[in-house]
Amino acid sequence: MPSPMDIYKLLPKTNCKLCGEQTCMSFAFKLIKKEKKLEDCKPLFEPEFEEQRKKIEEMLKVVEKATETGLVVNEDLCIGCGNCIVVCPVHVYEDPEGAGSGFGVRLENPILRVENGVVRVVDVGLCRRYKEKTICVACRENCPTSAIAFLEEL
Amino acid sequence: MMWVCTGCSCLCDDIEIEGDVVRHACRIGAGLYLNRSVARAEPLIDGKRMDIDSAIERAVEILKDSKSVAIYGLNNSTLEAQKIAMKLAKKLSAYVDNGSKFGKLAEMILRKEIPSTTLENVKDYAYVIFYWGCDVHNSMPRHMSRYTYYPRGKKRQRGYEEDRFLVVVDVRRSHTAMLAKKNAVFIKTDDDGKLIREFLTALNGGIASGDVLRVVKELKKSDFNVVFGGGGLIEGLSNELEEFVKLVSNVGYFVPADYRTNSMGFFKSIFEAGIPKANFEDLLIDEKVDTAIIVGSDPLNSMPFEVAKRLVKLNLIVIDPKVSFTSKMADVVIPSAISGVECGGKMLRSDFVEVELKPIFKSEFDDVKVLKSISEGL
Repeated sequence: MPSPMDIYKLLPKTNCKLCGEQTCMSFAFKLIKKEKKLEDCKPLFEPEFEEQRKKIEEMLKVVEKATETGLVVNEDLCIGCGNCIVVCPVHVYEDPEGAGSGFGVRLENPILRVENGVVRVVDVGLCRRYKEKTICVACRENCPTSAIAFLEEL
Repeated sequence: MMWVCTGCSCLCDDIEIEGDVVRHACRIGAGLYLNRSVARAEPLIDGKRMDIDSAIERAVEILKDSKSVAIYGLNNSTLEAQKIAMKLAKKLSAYVDNGSKFGKLAEMILRKEIPSTTLENVKDYAYVIFYWGCDVHNSMPRHMSRYTYYPRGKKRQRGYEEDRFLVVVDVRRSHTAMLAKKNAVFIKTDDDGKLIREFLTALNGGIASGDVLRVVKELKKSDFNVVFGGGGLIEGLSNELEEFVKLVSNVGYFVPADYRTNSMGFFKSIFEAGIPKANFEDLLIDEKVDTAIIVGSDPLNSMPFEVAKRLVKLNLIVIDPKVSFTSKMADVVIPSAISGVECGGKMLRSDFVEVELKPIFKSEFDDVKVLKSISEGL
């Protein structure tokens, strides 16, 4: 994952405040947290910054793939073992007879579900990282093929 | 629609199918269903397209002319098909083999010489879980999440981090070994026999290495511990299992971790029919057979070159739903149905529990019908 400093280096660094932020550095932070969009930085879209803008867009591709909780699933690496689904503490609590007991998750909108042999993110709204902001990594810890990753570790 | 997956010997029965979406099945199972119409076999005689009846007739002719026959495969066939294959084997006085090395241990389980249990009991009661010489994360992807280490059971409510202890023994750091983190141990070994003796010494209060002592301490906390042994264990012990059986009776239970879908069914079928299991590779090296019936298997793909070379020289009759390397080299190819997807029946899970299949489609020809008509033709 790109650091805010990497992005800051490529920004105009004029602190023009057109984006609504006080400094370019705080804009870089919010860009990674997905609270601001690249289009908010108007000077960057002028021809002289074109090369730098393209570099930032390249860097932000990883961030775009991630969900609101920073969860990134690489379906090519997943083999559908379902470890992530069974270990998820929210699944166990909400669906003890299904996912908690090893069966396929029976919730209508679970966090993760195995579909066509690979894990898919269905609804991160239930994830402990979403509301409670708990740094829970149970799903990633039990994925030996590294199909699951979190943005902060990339 | 609910479906029983026949991708591996887990035989997961909680798979949901809605149109072209398969839920909860791993990549093997989903692939089996989604790619069912890819590379289908056609009835062939010497590479020429024929109708299925003449292919069966030609197979019967070949069998009538041959002196010594071997039946190989049957891992993907149902118990019903295996029973007919056993009758056919008796009629032809043929050798039978399925390519699995679990024969000796499976027979011991059937004779009740080694304690075994069901995967449901493992889920509910097991504390220490050994994975010895097998990478189940890749060979049977849902084994750990569905039946053993991760799910919560009746007496194991607190989850894998507190209520289970995982021991992975292997020659390399496999994906399964990577899962041995908290409350778990990975023991790397090049000599299974030596490690078993070390465990036995430690269990009797002797001196052993740190990891072994830690496992033994955990073993004493519970009276329900289980060992899952894979191909690596059997290869490592070169089929000398006395000490291993002693270890298992000290530890708790043994369950084979053979990924081949119905290989336990095969062992039960030959056990009930009283036919000894042959070793197909040895038969080929010693040139003891002149005809082979390959049912739902692709031995050419996995055999060493020297053995495969001899297999091609035989009269090959292949009964398979899909085109395989072996079927391309065969004299007669008879198409069949994918067990569990297109034809029903019963299969045995890796712990010898019978599972009724729930086919989604219907097929005109399956292993049972093909083997029956060959048997009748003879």
